Amino acid sequence: MSSYSVISGIIQLVGGILLCPLLPGLIQKVKAILQGRQGPDIFQPYRELRRLWGKSTVKVEGTTFIYQLAPSIACAVMVMAVLIVPISNVSPSWGIGHDAFLLVGIIALGRFFMIGAAWDTQNGFGLMGASRDGTISIFAEAALVLSLTACALESGSSDLRVIIQSSAGGGDWASPVLPLALMAFCLVALAEVGRQPIDNPDTHLELTMIHEGPLLEYAGRDLAYLQWNASARHWVVLTLMVEVFLPHAKSTLLQLVALPVELIILCIVIATIETVIVKMRVLVVPRLLGIGTLTALMAIVAWKMAL
Amino acid sequence: MSFGALVGISIAVLGLGGISGFYLPFLRLPLSIQALGSFGIGVAGLAIFATGSSTGASFTNAFHPRFGVDPLSGLFLAMLSIVATPVLIFSKGYYDSSIRSRAIVVMNCAFILALIMVICARDPVSLLGGWELMTVIPAAMILVAHDREAKARRSVWVYLGVTHIGGAGTWIAILLMAHAGAIGGHVVMQSGSALQIAVALAALVGLGTKAGLMPFHIWLPRAHPIAPAPVSALMSGVMIKISIYLLIRILIDWIGPLPTWIGILVLALGALSSVAGVTYAIFEHELKRLLAMHSIENIGIITLGIGACLLLRSNSEMLWASFALGAALFHSMNHAIFKSLLFMGAGTFERYIGALNIDHLGGLLRRLPIAGGCFLVGSMAIAGLPPLNGFASEWLTIQSLVHLSRFGSFIDSISGAIALALLATTAALAVFCFVKVIGLVLLGSARTHDPPASRLPSRSMDISVGFLALCCVILGAIPGVVFTRMASIAPWNLEVRSRLELHLPTTGSLPTLWIVGVLACLTAIFLLLRGHSSAELAPTWICGQDQSPRLRWTSAGFSKPLKMTLETILRPTREIAFSERGSITQKVAYSGHLPHHFETHIYAPIHRLMLAVANTMRRMQSGSLSTYVFYLIGLVLAALLAVHVGLVR
Repeated sequence: MSSYSVISGIIQLVGGILLCPLLPGLIQKVKAILQGRQGPDIFQPYRELRRLWGKSTVKVEGTTFIYQLAPSIACAVMVMAVLIVPISNVSPSWGIGHDAFLLVGIIALGRFFMIGAAWDTQNGFGLMGASRDGTISIFAEAALVLSLTACALESGSSDLRVIIQSSAGGGDWASPVLPLALMAFCLVALAEVGRQPIDNPDTHLELTMIHEGPLLEYAGRDLAYLQWNASARHWVVLTLMVEVFLPHAKSTLLQLVALPVELIILCIVIATIETVIVKMRVLVVPRLLGIGTLTALMAIVAWKMAL
Repeated sequence: MSFGALVGISIAVLGLGGISGFYLPFLRLPLSIQALGSFGIGVAGLAIFATGSSTGASFTNAFHPRFGVDPLSGLFLAMLSIVATPVLIFSKGYYDSSIRSRAIVVMNCAFILALIMVICARDPVSLLGGWELMTVIPAAMILVAHDREAKARRSVWVYLGVTHIGGAGTWIAILLMAHAGAIGGHVVMQSGSALQIAVALAALVGLGTKAGLMPFHIWLPRAHPIAPAPVSALMSGVMIKISIYLLIRILIDWIGPLPTWIGILVLALGALSSVAGVTYAIFEHELKRLLAMHSIENIGIITLGIGACLLLRSNSEMLWASFALGAALFHSMNHAIFKSLLFMGAGTFERYIGALNIDHLGGLLRRLPIAGGCFLVGSMAIAGLPPLNGFASEWLTIQSLVHLSRFGSFIDSISGAIALALLATTAALAVFCFVKVIGLVLLGSARTHDPPASRLPSRSMDISVGFLALCCVILGAIPGVVFTRMASIAPWNLEVRSRLELHLPTTGSLPTLWIVGVLACLTAIFLLLRGHSSAELAPTWICGQDQSPRLRWTSAGFSKPLKMTLETILRPTREIAFSERGSITQKVAYSGHLPHHFETHIYAPIHRLMLAVANTMRRMQSGSLSTYVFYLIGLVLAALLAVHVGLVR
């Protein structure tokens, strides 16, 4: 194992698990500035986590173990996702490998338990969010799988490290394959991190929320887990975008250096999108994601035609 | 003792169990004997599959009964046994000892024997004989179970009608092949010849009908749910897989490389069945009917694997063709396991609650922890969630389609990519559907009063679902043990190195054992860090209203956003009726309906046409003898004239 592997591994763990709350913190801060407010500083998510950690969890009448298990499973799944998404072409394998389709499956596992928890509490608002989340994910998953496939075709491997390796450098960007895959993934990314115009994480109006819905019945450490989970989801999706879909350098060092810079830029872009574009109706989202699926399909067609 | 002898002895034990059920006034002993026989068949089948040996006769085109087992048959015998053994043990608790139940149990044994007959048949006669028995016996079982219900009789009629009209394709395919001497692949058909294409299409229609492949599926959601739960488990778990067995035999083993358009057709049928099957399943309200629709989805996924195999083979990618075939076989095995688990779980719930409308169940995980927990495992497996077996086989199917996109010619490649998108959608739809099912059936508090304790499942019922749930976990953790053998079963004899986990050359690998371990450890750590709650139990916040089961979310409410999104395709209808008295609304009645397009647009017009033709024909049937004598003499006269004029020689 080279020294770059060790460094990659350390950055992956420290960034994905400890530093990820900075990403939503940064987005909130930039949004505040764009809206002419001062806003809380970027460490606010940590303060919220500390506050929640000291509080008691709740017990809801009529629930089974699924309700209590769901936040822990969701976090376990997200840690696995952090491990699966490599931050350079030499990231350590962590035993579970870097398979792109495993990532899709493992995220679905977390969603299954969160929606299950909403059913367990029988909270109508939670289920409203859960059913929307499930509906959107159906369309997002097709776009996600196809855009990952478009990237995997060149090397013939669904191992994300191999994909990073093979698409590194600017050469591949002369063909439309990767730009089209990137366009498709951008739409998926907005849906997966639960940001506007698809979801609004700031809203606490029950009728409009999607990902926040199933969180309503949680408190204390459970809620802290779920808030961390949302931050780590930002890390996973944005890292995947930076390392796989955006142009990246061949050298491992440059990949590692570019990561924080690009993450900050992406956070600023997300904050800008959230400020400029209003949230769209839930029923319009599948059409947007349908466009993503077709764009990814076009990327595959383009790859095949270039052959 | 050779494996062949073990198969023979086990079949004899199974048959003995069936016959003893005929004479003994109780069920436990005959069922135990049958389970023992079925277990022996599984052991022998698995051994033949694992060692790659063959026993008994080899395939013949002559019309003499011959039986034998080769590795593919061995695999399907193992699949049969892994379902039938728990089903027989489950039956001990499920049936009472009334004469009706005993009749069903005896027929159940005959049904298993018919399935074995198809798997072991080595000649056209016993193959087709077993095939017909396999179709007719479940119909008889359903009729015995519901002898007074007109609706059940009608469903059985549809089942027999559709499977016989469509199933004629099987006869045509088998007889054409026997005529050409192609059974067993003795004669290699010319690729793209009219005969080869006729056999392939006839097989697709005939076997597709019996497998429940769309658009030939309409009997399946009618017949499977009304059978007793153990019979449904056998039908969905094994019977429809027998069609897959024959499809693999015919399309891959026997008739040689096919033109690519057949491969694309198979892929298209698979994609259609998987997406449409799961979509209609979401909007079903009856648990067993919902599970039956999911069988269509899973048959679709298996067919995607077969289609990918055909196309990869026509592009000379033999290694990946082997993997695609292995994926199809592995998904067949997995579906047999989790679908029979789910049907038996549904049977347990049905006995306990007395009904299976998912909006009226609820809270069953607390009241039936073992059956409920196993049902949860089965739901996660069928939804294709890691680290269970359903995910492993769907992952393999996805990989096969990705490599079809990579290696195939332009059209094959794009077909592969579209199929991949539809498979991903199917997986997400299945998650959506099954999280709804467990939410309504298992989670939350009960919606009805507790039934009497006498309806609690017996130990044998819990053991059989527990065994199948364990199989889901084990095959999810070490899928390689069976998959590597399945991938080596293809007629082009590529040996795939055996491993515990999944590893495909050049592409990524799925270290399933690590995934199970890491997931379990991380969850345990997070649970430990979370600690225990000191808070009092509190009700769910629903804006201060009383908790009433009537305010609960229903299946329709949860799937509403999806229904609205797909409105233009699905075209749901709904009626809302207000009854008012003195401008005050007294009652609001809502009814929603989702028409199945295949029935309204394909089957209904054919149905109407047939009825119109029959109506016209009826005028000729007066019922009086002289009219028929008149017809007969007229016919003879016409024949004589035809011969005289020279129309007929």
